[in-house]
Amino acid sequence: MSVDSAGAARAKRLKQMQSLPFDGQAFKRLVEAGLVWLRTNQQIVNALNVFPVPDGDTGTNMVLTMQSAYDEIRDLGHREVGQMAAAVSQGALMGARGNSGVILSQIWRGIARGLQDEEVLTGPNLARALADARDTAYKGVVRPVEGTILTVAKDVAAAAEAALQETQDPIEILEKVVAAADVSVEHTPELLPVLKQAGVVDSGGKGLFFVLDGMLRYIYGDPLNEPLASVQPIAAMDLEKAMHEVEPGQDFEVVVDFHPAEELDLQKFYGELEKMGTSIQVGEGDGMYRMHIHVPTENRYKPIDYIMGMGTITKVAIENLLAQMDEINRQSEPDRLELANIEPGQIAVVTVSPGPGISRIFASLGAAAIVEGGQTMNPSTQEILAAFENLPTDKVIILPNNKNIILAAEAARDVTVKSVVVVPSRTIPQGLSAMLVLNPDGELEAVAEKMIKSLGSVKTGEVTTATRAVEIDGVAVEHGQVIALLDGKLVLAASTVDEACLSLLEKAQAEEYELITLYIGADLPRAEANRVADIVREKYPEQEVEVQDGGQPHYQLIISIE
Amino acid sequence: MKIGLVTDSTSDVPASLVEKYQIEVVPAILVVEGQSCADGEGISRREFYSRLPGMSVPPTTASPSAGSFVERYEKMLRAGAEQILSIHASSSLSGIFNAARLAAESFGERVRVLDSGQLSLGSGFQVLSAAEAIARGALLDEILALLESVQARIRVIALLDTLEYLRRSGRVSWAKAMLGGFLDLKPMIELKSGRVEKMGAARTARQGKERLLGLLRETGTLERLAVLHTNAEGRARQLLAELNPALSTEPLIVNVTTAIGAHLGPNGLGFAAVKAE
Repeated sequence: MSVDSAGAARAKRLKQMQSLPFDGQAFKRLVEAGLVWLRTNQQIVNALNVFPVPDGDTGTNMVLTMQSAYDEIRDLGHREVGQMAAAVSQGALMGARGNSGVILSQIWRGIARGLQDEEVLTGPNLARALADARDTAYKGVVRPVEGTILTVAKDVAAAAEAALQETQDPIEILEKVVAAADVSVEHTPELLPVLKQAGVVDSGGKGLFFVLDGMLRYIYGDPLNEPLASVQPIAAMDLEKAMHEVEPGQDFEVVVDFHPAEELDLQKFYGELEKMGTSIQVGEGDGMYRMHIHVPTENRYKPIDYIMGMGTITKVAIENLLAQMDEINRQSEPDRLELANIEPGQIAVVTVSPGPGISRIFASLGAAAIVEGGQTMNPSTQEILAAFENLPTDKVIILPNNKNIILAAEAARDVTVKSVVVVPSRTIPQGLSAMLVLNPDGELEAVAEKMIKSLGSVKTGEVTTATRAVEIDGVAVEHGQVIALLDGKLVLAASTVDEACLSLLEKAQAEEYELITLYIGADLPRAEANRVADIVREKYPEQEVEVQDGGQPHYQLIISIE
Repeated sequence: MKIGLVTDSTSDVPASLVEKYQIEVVPAILVVEGQSCADGEGISRREFYSRLPGMSVPPTTASPSAGSFVERYEKMLRAGAEQILSIHASSSLSGIFNAARLAAESFGERVRVLDSGQLSLGSGFQVLSAAEAIARGALLDEILALLESVQARIRVIALLDTLEYLRRSGRVSWAKAMLGGFLDLKPMIELKSGRVEKMGAARTARQGKERLLGLLRETGTLERLAVLHTNAEGRARQLLAELNPALSTEPLIVNVTTAIGAHLGPNGLGFAAVKAE
């Protein structure tokens, strides 16, 4: 069907619809159309489900609610729109599922109130019903949040009210209402930061849009059984994000830029592409289209051949997704530390760390500042002071994580006006144990006391290379031998790292504990580290063995036993 | 004045007590691999938690409809109740309270809906306190005052085996932020003022148990205690044995209901305790 004849058919149907009174039976068909169109686009709504209390999938919950509403009226013969709306409201209430479903049922409740005692739907009573729907929807939640289905209900009511100035025709008002719902949904990320962060619009709002849009599509005679195919501005296409959604078997990404010879039939275009692959996105700008798709290896040329027959291709890009995913994963390793954002009044922890891997772990546990340093590079009082002087709180806990740094930390405490407690951690594992009991909102002394108590919950092993020959605590060491320390005391010398590691674990009675964590030093090659870890796993099958990249210099291994 | 008592399945009140006090329990809805079922029916807790880690689609939960509360209230009023007290899971964590609240609107003063601000026995102990008070013949106002006191004395803390399920549930914003965590952690959480708050973490189950014991001991003399778990009954019994609390009521050991456990994951251990006045 050409565009013109389709337009003519729609105009004819519209005229027909406008000539009939909008009674209860017509209202029933509108409700059914809203249900069908929502169900058709259910997955689109489910995919948006990121916010705040996803009580199940929003699309599914709204469909179940609408289904229950429709089941209630399916066999009703009421002629009066008011009676029909009351039945819809009852059905929706009984079947409401999830938060969005509950709000949807409240919207129907408001509509029923607005249409009470009405025989037919008119412009004015439709506007009144939508205003009532807004009011009951807001009352339907304990704490209303903007940027959700509530905002869409509000904008829809306002649009209906405004449209009343120009027309009394309910269909024309419904057109304005659907347009307003569309705009309102697109605007939700501006009102709700979590949506913006996730790069989506509100799911409940979108669901409401589909219900309203389905009614209008029914009036226009548009099909309700094929999901909406969408085109977005090319600039808005998020191909990066699509990368992270690779399904197994879809090994290639194909992107084609093209000028179609004729206007693109989107439904058909999507339909053909769906036979080839997934993650389909279509963008448009300046008459040029960009198609994005993920396909299995054997289909990698099919989208190009298909589009070739539709117009002029200007550019094609095919990439191996699996190889590209590896690249992304490598790049996304953060170089920048995500330190905790401390608010005034909270407790900030300043910790000393000898290597980038250990720093990252401290940061992930909520450290507010990190001072580089360790065994051979003791930070100065000034460096420790500088790390916390500018933090926006006056409650500070310092974790020196080394016996040679405790004094500098205490000196920093003594020269600042802030309230500082030094928790005298002597090793990295002790410092990490202390972080686990941190409650930034707690009382400084009480939190510090808990942290101090936690220091004893872990044993620390350290493996390094002797820089000179020596005899300490009855252990004779030759220059260049591998030595091991247990809780700061030299316990043995060995010729290899794995030998030192195993003997150390034996001395620590590791078999009595649950977890052995190996923090790998910068000088120990990864392959060597994995070999040592495998040996430890074999020797301690009852214990969990975890390997972490510590990145500390000089110490091939820091080991926590807990 | 005959007072009827309603709660939902997330209160975890043991079946024997539900029967003893004739408490009406409206089940939450659990969706497992596309199949909806009433919480507590269709799949046992034990089976659910064993299967949970292997489920390809994470289970979800939903609040019962307002309609199911309407039906329940009507039934009780027909059966002779003159007033109804309906106590439900924290409204910040679930839509159940709201569904009950909307259902109650059409009953006016006859139905009173209370937000417990809690989950599991944190909510259940409020229900049991109310049940005992009703059995004593207390008036609704007295019961509400009593519950306010009980609510203030409740402590609910849990040690999870992993943060994964809580993060996936989307109900707890900070869980997402801890995603960057590198260590394999067992997070500790406290349910406070209706919300899930973090209490740090443990690295091993033993450390976690020691912290739970420490927290229980610092809570002081207890009036009621439930050791909660998700398929970790052995560890729950051990915790109770080590604590050996002096209690005026029988301590409970409860495998937490699936509608809550779906968001916590298996192998969790914790407690709900009511401090003595």
